[in-house]
Amino acid sequence: MKKKLRIYLPFVNAGMQETTTYRANWIFFMIGNVLACFVSYFIWKAVFLSGDSNSMNGFTMPQMVVYIFLMFLTSTLISSGGTYDIGEEIRDGSISMRIIKPISYNSTFLFQELGNKFMTICILIVPMVIGVEVVRTVLIGSVQFNIFGFLLYILSCVFAYLINFFFNICFGFVAFIIKYLWGANMMKNCIVGFLSGATIPLAFLPDTLEQIFLLLPFASLNYTPVMIYMGMYSGLFLLYYLGLQMFWALFFWGLSKLLWRVSLKHLSVQGG
Amino acid sequence: MKQIKRMLRMHRIFVAQEFKRMMEYKGDFVVGIIGFLLGQFFNMLFLWIIFSQIPSLMGWSLKQVVFIYGFSLIPKGLDHLLFDNLWAIGHFTVRKGDFDKYLTRPINTLFHVMVEKLQIDALGELIMGVALICITLPSLSIEWSFIKILLAILVIPFATLIYTGIKIATSAIAFWTKRSGNITYMFYMVNDFAKYPVTIYNNVVRSIITYIIPFAFTAFYPANYILTGENPLFNIGLTVVISLIIMTIGVLIWNRGIKAYESAGS
Repeated sequence: MKKKLRIYLPFVNAGMQETTTYRANWIFFMIGNVLACFVSYFIWKAVFLSGDSNSMNGFTMPQMVVYIFLMFLTSTLISSGGTYDIGEEIRDGSISMRIIKPISYNSTFLFQELGNKFMTICILIVPMVIGVEVVRTVLIGSVQFNIFGFLLYILSCVFAYLINFFFNICFGFVAFIIKYLWGANMMKNCIVGFLSGATIPLAFLPDTLEQIFLLLPFASLNYTPVMIYMGMYSGLFLLYYLGLQMFWALFFWGLSKLLWRVSLKHLSVQGG
Repeated sequence: MKQIKRMLRMHRIFVAQEFKRMMEYKGDFVVGIIGFLLGQFFNMLFLWIIFSQIPSLMGWSLKQVVFIYGFSLIPKGLDHLLFDNLWAIGHFTVRKGDFDKYLTRPINTLFHVMVEKLQIDALGELIMGVALICITLPSLSIEWSFIKILLAILVIPFATLIYTGIKIATSAIAFWTKRSGNITYMFYMVNDFAKYPVTIYNNVVRSIITYIIPFAFTAFYPANYILTGENPLFNIGLTVVISLIIMTIGVLIWNRGIKAYESAGS
């Protein structure tokens, strides 16, 4: 265990340095994303003003505000760039450098990304959570923050991150076969965005569709953590959804191992 | 005149080159177009679901909102199709030291960068934009006149240049900072505001997207003129003026940037 840690620690470090080198770039990226949240905020505000009831499919306006910003926080926390990195490495041939080393291919990515993520978490999570809580307190009129709910949210985010990480690795291995990924990645992002509730809360969909989407791995990405934070799931439901997340994390972990074996046989480094 | 002729000939050569590259990667380009189509499709689904819950969005009907949205895709798609290479400048061309190649050639750098690539993925946006306009237009009961048709067509290249100008200005920042891709990204996110009727925003947002980062002129204002026929001077006239101002600012920043540019080396 200790030896393993010593092997992978440099990757964490490298990831952290990567983010700090291009700090300004990262900040602009985040501002851009927060702006996108405000677009949704105004659309939903207009929607609630145009409708005749205070609540829509179980969401009130204050809840919607919390939902929009938590969705952003959650997707940032659990984001994983595996697809793109693998695709790039196949294209420029640097993947061969990873393969010849006696360490796990997936783990090097995982640890590098954890380093990246560490910075995000430090800078983003505290102000975002405080912001959301202040807004919520002002809009509803009483303190809503629940430390137990928050801890469950973090736990759920960890599962969600693992699902996302291994899912993206699986998707990235498609690059071994099709060799180009940009368009495919965009398609994936659109589909995942919709199925995971980032575009619109799944509760707004027709019932049967909602039930199907909730079972798919994508709802386990953003939707489940956000619902947990908002206190929409409780008791057995909570356990059920956390269990479902665990199942999908294990599923994609297994699949990524399998695909790794298969795709290694297909690898042809272009111009490596 | 001779110079323009030369530039046009160059453009043809670059485009031909680009088509050869595309034929090499046929799969990519199909997947890219489908990707963009799909993205727009989900946005439409979002609007449709929302409108199934409310009669109108602060006075705007679903058809009107879709029309504005569809119109917004045309200038955006055109700029994306023709001048997408500017994105690369801020993201990696300068940082990796690849920009030097443009400086060694006997053509204007900005022109060279702009025409070097053709981004066929953008057809996804253009197809969707035209489709949304065609679907909504017949049932919107718009009064057409010769002038209106003329202005509606005329405004499109100017609206496109607003995008291009902002992209030139923000990518040129990379000449000083080595990397500015995400500044461009940030501005593009502001552009999302312009896809919807600006009357749903508060005054602060409305002023920003009208006067400071004038994306509202790429979509809402021209589309509003087509829908209502009101204020051609503001809706169309100002679009033209603003696009010329933005392009001028963009070119000025670019030229200063080129002077300040030091190669990143390799």
